[in-house]
Amino acid sequence: MANTTETAKLAKLDTARHTKALSLFASTMTRHLQHSLMKSLLVLSVTTTAILAAAMPARAAGETIGGCVLEKLNTSFEDGNYRSLEQMLTSTASKENGKSDDDKKGGTLEKKLEGCLEAPDTIIPALDEVIWGGLAFLVLLGFMQWKGFPAVKRAMDARSEKIRNDLDAADDAKTSAQRIQTEYEEKLKNAEEKAAAIIEEARAKASQLKLDLQAQAEAEIAEKRANASAEIDANRSQAIDDLRSEIATIAVDAAEQVVAASINPETHRQLIDDYIDQVSASGAANTARTNGSP
Amino acid sequence: MTNTHISERAKNYADGILKIARAEGIQNELEQQLKDFLAILRQNQELMTVLADSDIDIDRRIGVIRDLFTDQVQPLTITLLALVITAGRGNELTDIIDTLIDRAAAGRNRRVARVRSALPLNDKQQALLAEALKESLGFEVEIHVLIDPSVIGGVVTEIGDRIIDGSIRNRLQQMRSSVH
Repeated sequence: MANTTETAKLAKLDTARHTKALSLFASTMTRHLQHSLMKSLLVLSVTTTAILAAAMPARAAGETIGGCVLEKLNTSFEDGNYRSLEQMLTSTASKENGKSDDDKKGGTLEKKLEGCLEAPDTIIPALDEVIWGGLAFLVLLGFMQWKGFPAVKRAMDARSEKIRNDLDAADDAKTSAQRIQTEYEEKLKNAEEKAAAIIEEARAKASQLKLDLQAQAEAEIAEKRANASAEIDANRSQAIDDLRSEIATIAVDAAEQVVAASINPETHRQLIDDYIDQVSASGAANTARTNGSP
Repeated sequence: MTNTHISERAKNYADGILKIARAEGIQNELEQQLKDFLAILRQNQELMTVLADSDIDIDRRIGVIRDLFTDQVQPLTITLLALVITAGRGNELTDIIDTLIDRAAAGRNRRVARVRSALPLNDKQQALLAEALKESLGFEVEIHVLIDPSVIGGVVTEIGDRIIDGSIRNRLQQMRSSVH
């Protein structure tokens, strides 16, 4: 029994010592660390200390079967139901007979010890668990209210801002894309219209060129036909002239031969006399013209 | 046959020969002999070509003249013709003689009428023609007859630049032109 008490005291002292050491460490760090990073570490240490401090009583409250037996036995000793461990064991072994007071005490201790084997209530927690769990919850809630929620809020605000910016950027990009698409469609439309105009113009020019070439070809054909006709007429006229000249030459040559063959000395004399008469007659005419009229 | 194309050098040669003939008192004989020589020359184109050809040796060309005309003309006439050939003016021989005849006639206040005919004109015909030309032109002329078969019939008279064509050839030519 004495050993059990010592063991429980030692456990409490150990827990207190641990808590004190951690608090000292936390206070020491708080004094020496001014840097923001160290402040964060401090916050983390405080949080850890608080959780551990809250957990220690819970761990202590969370008894094992052996611990529970020891605690029941210790309680029975402290209540003065038994004077020694042997009496306790004897009353417990003869509890089924129920012949004496010791036997009744033994049955009561046995029931207490059997209570240690009973499973805890699964719905309603133990009071100390509620207390320590509530304290831990409050500490955690305070810490979260102090640091966690603002950080989460800032993160969420930053996230919202980022999402808003992203949405704005997306809207801008969408607007820009729509504007570019509109411009592209406009350009495409203009290009199609321009291409259609060019094609139409090319078709018109080709048609005009075809007409011009056709007209030019017809004009050239007409000109060549006219030239050919004129050349044929000229050749015909030239041939007629050449033929006429040739016939005339032949006729005159023939006449010359006939005349030359037919001229005899008497004819020569007659021709010379006629010539002299003509010269004389022209001289008489000139004389009369000179002497008579002007 | 006109004198318009005759060079001043040919005229000087003609004047020189005429002065020599006058100095020797043979102008009329020389003039007549040169007329006959010119008539022969114009009827013989080959002879004219030989005398005008500078590639033929001068002595040989003069020898041709001597061989052909020694018995028909005076030695001075042969010498004067040889002078012209020696001086390298054989190609102007006909022009020199024509000019000499014109200058000689001009010395007698007459002009030369060169009459071309297929047959020679008798003296009566020449006299009548000279008289007719005098009446027609108003000045005295001397008839210089040239035989030209191409005339066929009739007469062609040239006096300076003036031509009076009464030839059959001219009539045939007119007929040829009218037919063409």
